Amino acid sequence: MLTALILVPIIGAILIGFLPTPEGSNLPRKAALAIAIGLFFYSFWLLTQLDLSQSGVQFTEYLTWAKPIGLNYTLGVDGLALPLVVLNGLLTWVAIYSTREKIHRPRLYYSLVLLVNAGVTGAFVAQNLLLFILFYELELIPVYFLIAIWGGAKSQYAATKFLLYTAVSGILILAAFLGIAWLCGASSFDLATISTEDLSQKSQLILLSLLLVGFGIKIPLVPLHTWQPDAYVESAPSVAILLGGILAKLGVYGLLRFGLELFPETWHLVSPGLAITGSVTVIYGALSAIAQKDIKRMVAYSSIGHMGYILVAAAASTELSVLGGVAQAISHGLILALLFELVGIVEDKVGTRELDVLNGLMNPVRGLPLVSALLITAGMASAGIPGLVGFAAEFLVFQGSFSIFPICTLLCIFASGLTAVYFVILLNRTCFGKLDNKLAYYPRVVRSEQIPALVLTAIIMVLGIHPTWLVRWIEPTTDAIAQSFHKPKIVAISQPNLIASFGSDLDR
Amino acid sequence: MSTTLTPAKIPPSQHEFADVIHRLEAGGSMLPDTPENLMQIIGIYKAYAVPMDFYWRDLLYIAERVFLDPFPAFKYFLPQEYLDLHNHYAGDDADLRIWRGEATAHPELLAFMEKGETFKGSKLFHHLWHDRINMEFAEACMRAMLWHQGMGGRFYDYLEDPEYIANADRAIKAYFKGNPLMLGLYKLFPNMFYEKVRELSYYANLGLFWEVMAPVFFEMSDIYDEGGFKGVPDAMQFLVNGIFAIAGRPIYHHVYIRGECYEIIPKSKGFTWLYEAALPYVEAVFYRTAPFRGTKSYNAQAQQVPAEQKDFHYGILYADVFPVGSAGIPPTLLMQDMLHFLPQYLIDYYQKYCRGEDDILIQLGITFQRSMYNVTSAVIQALRTALLYPLDDPNPKHLMKNRQFFEMQMDRFKRPEARLRDIQNQEYR
Repeated sequence: MLTALILVPIIGAILIGFLPTPEGSNLPRKAALAIAIGLFFYSFWLLTQLDLSQSGVQFTEYLTWAKPIGLNYTLGVDGLALPLVVLNGLLTWVAIYSTREKIHRPRLYYSLVLLVNAGVTGAFVAQNLLLFILFYELELIPVYFLIAIWGGAKSQYAATKFLLYTAVSGILILAAFLGIAWLCGASSFDLATISTEDLSQKSQLILLSLLLVGFGIKIPLVPLHTWQPDAYVESAPSVAILLGGILAKLGVYGLLRFGLELFPETWHLVSPGLAITGSVTVIYGALSAIAQKDIKRMVAYSSIGHMGYILVAAAASTELSVLGGVAQAISHGLILALLFELVGIVEDKVGTRELDVLNGLMNPVRGLPLVSALLITAGMASAGIPGLVGFAAEFLVFQGSFSIFPICTLLCIFASGLTAVYFVILLNRTCFGKLDNKLAYYPRVVRSEQIPALVLTAIIMVLGIHPTWLVRWIEPTTDAIAQSFHKPKIVAISQPNLIASFGSDLDR
Repeated sequence: MSTTLTPAKIPPSQHEFADVIHRLEAGGSMLPDTPENLMQIIGIYKAYAVPMDFYWRDLLYIAERVFLDPFPAFKYFLPQEYLDLHNHYAGDDADLRIWRGEATAHPELLAFMEKGETFKGSKLFHHLWHDRINMEFAEACMRAMLWHQGMGGRFYDYLEDPEYIANADRAIKAYFKGNPLMLGLYKLFPNMFYEKVRELSYYANLGLFWEVMAPVFFEMSDIYDEGGFKGVPDAMQFLVNGIFAIAGRPIYHHVYIRGECYEIIPKSKGFTWLYEAALPYVEAVFYRTAPFRGTKSYNAQAQQVPAEQKDFHYGILYADVFPVGSAGIPPTLLMQDMLHFLPQYLIDYYQKYCRGEDDILIQLGITFQRSMYNVTSAVIQALRTALLYPLDDPNPKHLMKNRQFFEMQMDRFKRPEARLRDIQNQEYR
């Protein structure tokens, strides 16, 4: 069943690559859209079939592949992976739909988007470490080309930076996986066969550190983030949706699946540092976003900040915080996709992303009133306004993390206030004020261009009003992850002591 | 093109708007003389004239019949008597026949009043749904005239005259006869009632002004349809001629209470159309007005609003038309009213530019702005004719006086908000 989610986009990509495209033909786009929508509905159907009474991996598939090196085709999903697969399907559809119809080299473009979808889905459903890294690397190449060929003026630079960072990320993760398998003496790289309990804490610490840095680059966390603003800004909006909405979630997934699940005790050891890194990421992202003059770059930095919440939640590793972390990953994917979609429309119609130039887009006749209204909604969702999915996710993160890391959580709450600050700046400059009569001859936004944003907004609102529809799939798995810790071993460290101990470490 | 070249008897103007001034000196308009401009302004005059036919009738109805009704909920429900009221400048029995059409309400207006944009329904439904002629715009213009006052003429002074107060007193007492509550209130707060009557006098003033303008615009539209106007200056000259033809039309305020006429401002006072209605209207509505709700966020303490009323600059000649479409803004309501009566050639024209039908309100708003620059040009030329010298005067000193007059008028458009620069460009839509 899961194989279809990987094979269909790969086969689709190959077929689209050879489709005849006479002048003016939209066939590649239509085919890619059909495949993406099919994948989304199929993955959503799988979600409805998920047995919520079980926390373990379901819909498993197994095929021996390269036994001598321990590489098996082992697939399976649980409440952690499947919602992200559904998000991948949805955002792939959004990315394809929001791509301009007259894009150059359409066959290559749509093929690459479908390959990204296949790679990401494969990574989410892989239950073999080597298979995971295979898919993890598979998406790297198409994304590189998507940024480089269809990006902005500095796309080559951004793509190369992305490639270098992500390649390093892949190497570190591969090294960690090889270390895990060899040191544990596992017969294969299948996740189910690996137990790290017997490893020394030093070994665990080294392996976990490799994973943290590897996935930290992908998320990205401060200070491993410098590739991200360039990549997001230089990408076409549709590619930025994939990058921020889905690819970053691979990092989150990897941290939870391989960091938290494989090294629970060592995770607890490093969790204060992770919480501090998370809160620094949150504050840094928010403050950097406030300083931006380019709305796309502002959204990119806001993304960095919001990913920090997930790290704080994962560091706290309570039932509620892990649940909140995964919910935040999905919420962030939806909101970021909506923001990039809207920023893309603004740039396409107005011809600029500069805050100092944009103004008065709320104008009911000559502006972009619906786009502005949706931008306001997206800003509110991102700032965690109640009634929208961002609030539900952030509330779970704060509620779950506060008892373990109160100061870090308070910093995150403060940063969510900063989110409101930069979104008010963005909305005030972009949507409100006086429309410049000399510039305001923008083309209209036709209904078909509004559909992806309307769909995403509807989902954000529905899940915000009824968050159970979001968390019910995730909860059994995240509960199991959190319960697998040895609670008595958790030493509650007060924040001042923690900072003091870090300070003494630095002194040494 | 009927514009003639300026004889080179005086040196070229060094004014910022020298081109416009030279055009005015050649008998032209502030609006460039292009077939596109001519088509736009005539089309919009026609679209403006139809709701204006309602405005003037209803303004007079409110001034004469609704009067001081404390709950004037139905003041926009024009009775048949006022729809049948004969315009003094149209029809067979006209005092001066400007328009060759009928004297009663325009057929397109009657058709719209019956059905609106939606369907044939009750008057109350159309009123509440705003599927009607929006008198709110007309009232905003009236209030601008009332508030600015003191723009020349004698009308404003007369509203403080004991004779006016005595006339108003008689009408108020007659209107509230048998109503001890309102008479008691009148006794307690007489100035409040007098002020209300002053406002109603401006209703009458504006109604009588627009009674003239509606047939003028209808006739211009008909002449254009017959191929009569060769350029923008011709259209402007028609307006100048009209202004002089009707300049002496009396401005008065009569109230009809239980079949008896009370002359609050009698015709015998000698208030005339040009000096007591047309010029104050142009000054108050075209130049000054007040910032319309929603179009401009202003802070008087930060000196964003001029301290002197004469320096106000929120009229159509300065207006930013782009916020049109926002709910509740009077210009939006006017654009909405004109939208219903656009000639087909103008609809086709708007379809070709910007967002076509989607931003037609703004496109027609900018056309309206162009057309009002033409009307203002007519007023400026009329004033020059009345106060100064002919354009072809052989005396250079006289021409220089004309030049100074034109430059002084153009000085008012030097401020950045003025749209005179914009309308010189055909791409301003």
